[in-house]
Amino acid sequence: MKPRIEWEPKLVGFLCKWCSYAGADLAGTSRKKYPANIRIIKVPCSGRVDPLFILKALRLGFDGVVVSGCHPGDCHYQTGNYRARRRVAITKRFLEYLGVEPQRIQASWVSASEAGKFAEVVTEVTTGLKEVGPNQLFSEGRQEDGTKTTERS
Amino acid sequence: MTNSKKVNKKDVGKLLSQWSQEFAIFVPSIGSGVATMARWEGKDTSFLDWYRNTVIPPKANFLPPMEEMFSFRKDREGYNIELPPNGGKQLIFGIRPCDARALTTIDANFKDLYQDPYYLPKRSRAVLVGVGCTNPYDSCFCTSLGISPADSNDVDLMLTDIGDEFLVEEVTDKGKKLTAKTSGLKEATKDDETRAKEIKEISYNKVTRKINAEGIVDKLLAGFDDQDYWEKVAAKCISCGICTLLCPTCYCFDINDELVRQQGTRFRSLDSCAFPVYTKMPMENPRASKWKRVRQKVCHKFGFFPMNFNVIACTGCGRCIRLCPVNWDITQILNSLPVRV
Amino acid sequence: MEQKLRSEVKALLEQGKVDWIIGFEPGSLKFTTTPLITKDKNDAERLVINPFIVNNLANFLTEIMGRVGIVAKGCDSRSIVSLIQDNKVAREDVVILGVPCTGVIDLSKVEKLVGKDRDELNDIAREGDKVTIKVEGKKKGFPSTQVLFNHCLACELPTPKEYDILLGEPSPPIANLAAQERIEKLRQVAPGQRWAFWEKELSRCIRCYACRNVCPACFCQRCFVEETEPQWVLPAPRWQDNLIFQIVRNIHVAGRCTDCGECERACPVNIPLRSLTREMYDIVGELFQFKAGMDKDALPLMTHYEEKEAEDFFR
Repeated sequence: MKPRIEWEPKLVGFLCKWCSYAGADLAGTSRKKYPANIRIIKVPCSGRVDPLFILKALRLGFDGVVVSGCHPGDCHYQTGNYRARRRVAITKRFLEYLGVEPQRIQASWVSASEAGKFAEVVTEVTTGLKEVGPNQLFSEGRQEDGTKTTERS
Repeated sequence: MTNSKKVNKKDVGKLLSQWSQEFAIFVPSIGSGVATMARWEGKDTSFLDWYRNTVIPPKANFLPPMEEMFSFRKDREGYNIELPPNGGKQLIFGIRPCDARALTTIDANFKDLYQDPYYLPKRSRAVLVGVGCTNPYDSCFCTSLGISPADSNDVDLMLTDIGDEFLVEEVTDKGKKLTAKTSGLKEATKDDETRAKEIKEISYNKVTRKINAEGIVDKLLAGFDDQDYWEKVAAKCISCGICTLLCPTCYCFDINDELVRQQGTRFRSLDSCAFPVYTKMPMENPRASKWKRVRQKVCHKFGFFPMNFNVIACTGCGRCIRLCPVNWDITQILNSLPVRV
Repeated sequence: MEQKLRSEVKALLEQGKVDWIIGFEPGSLKFTTTPLITKDKNDAERLVINPFIVNNLANFLTEIMGRVGIVAKGCDSRSIVSLIQDNKVAREDVVILGVPCTGVIDLSKVEKLVGKDRDELNDIAREGDKVTIKVEGKKKGFPSTQVLFNHCLACELPTPKEYDILLGEPSPPIANLAAQERIEKLRQVAPGQRWAFWEKELSRCIRCYACRNVCPACFCQRCFVEETEPQWVLPAPRWQDNLIFQIVRNIHVAGRCTDCGECERACPVNIPLRSLTREMYDIVGELFQFKAGMDKDALPLMTHYEEKEAEDFFR
């Protein structure tokens, strides 16, 4: 009998190339342990993240989205992360009004040296998503038991 | 003795129940939030009281907003293609003469050089039970296009409201076959038929909006190149798709594939010539200007389609006028064409 | 007000101060108006101001070249200011003919109240806070608040603040609580069921894009729905993609939407779009104390930032 595969949340992370991605890289080279649930997409700046990406990720079936950039004041392009801050703010609030679980969209400031913080962020988000369950937002006939991740419908 | 039958309005539910053994019954409904033809849930016939016409035309039952053409999967040997299952038989109850005529009109397009394998089988399997209008909208103008609110040419059975009862006329053989196996229909008397004729006359005269369709093709195309005129006409249009998507004689569709790794679906969905990207091609977009798109819409319906198929692609249902967000009115355009012929 | 409007418009065109005039003229259906866009000074006589001037004419500013004289209610003037903030329109290129608005009548509310359709009514007359509807020869009176659009009841600026010519005495806001009822009800619904509500509502969307096209804030030459590389949303009306379209559209117009309500009015299948736009409007007001189109010198919301602002959701 085949072992039953337990559901693991699928995360996508939009990490800014200059800070957060470097921080994630450092976490790897420092052998910091963090859940392998995250798939990383490198963007030049957190300000590149259009709310459209977040929605598309949810549509494709990702259980959670993480947006991470440089600390305010440290953006390589001066102001990109300020834009990200406003965009993520309204996106998160709006989606919560619509009934999307708040744990699905997370944002963080992770600098290039904060390998530990990156590992913590991914761990926290993954744990939070395990409690919330698979993303059934866009599936036809949503399942109640949540034993498999949503196929793109 | 007459050739017609009749049925008491209270017994319409019994008719539908009998027919539901063989057909999927569609009736006018507002349950979804907008007036459309929806599956009859089995009991309620209160639509007989409020129904004037739907917002979504019955063409959606034959040319759905989104329709799967086939699905495909790639495996080691090659491509595996699967056609969608055959649909069942539909019975559309309450279709108005304008919408029924519209179906006949667009049949020509789907039968032209290529027999459409999705639309035509649905059409041939379906039964249309028309109900004549007794309360046309002020946006209706069917009488100017050779139809009347009581026209029975394009349905299988035609019902006319004669008070507490409907007169039932068997129009096609399909209709006759249906009534032959239906119980609950009574024989209509000569008085019933006379009454029906009166009602039809009254309904005809209730349609106040008119256009002069005489020689419209030539009149319209004579002014085709008048950019100033068309720019004026198009000025307030906002290029949304309401008039075209809700028009019972519009049939343009777009075909797209949706892929997930090694499998996918090819589907078609309704498209609109009002959208700026409708004619967008890699090299150019011949109708990037709004006035060209507006001109195209009017000239297709009242010029090119009649030139090709001998029938105007409009049945005067008035949805475009009723629902346009800026009250753009095709009858105003047609009634004020610059005289050039 | 109509007389003043017509003479002002005539003067503006005669003196060559504007190239175009955008206003309202009587529609082809009872109790409707339709936009009039013209260069001809003789068309001035066709202009009207009545309780049915529903369109947001600022929508046409982004496609008309040249200087424009535009009739604007309070909400419309805010959209014009928003466009000026976005640099889509220069202040010198518009002559704002401000209309002190007392609210526009929602015909669907009237139809529900009297149980008859618009074309079956004999007359609708508004006098201050009373509306008299004549149907089948009989007159019925209602308080105006029962027939005005919800966005009029929630209006924060009935009289334009930014104008060149004001066509009458300023009018006070109506500020009626009934306007927020529907959104408040939605906020009480459990989160899991809210999404199901929107799934149901967006299932009947036909992707006509009327909501997008009536909106003055939507002026992109190429909307994200028309993008094919990559394809963000399916070009077909599947509810998932319809919902994504609405969500992203609202986020894209955040800070520029003035809650004029045109999107909801234009929707042919009665989707309660204002329950989305008003929520975004309130979010923006709460998080950044910003209201679209109130201050012509303010910087556009999403291109501006403060050093210190809401970021408690950032870890």
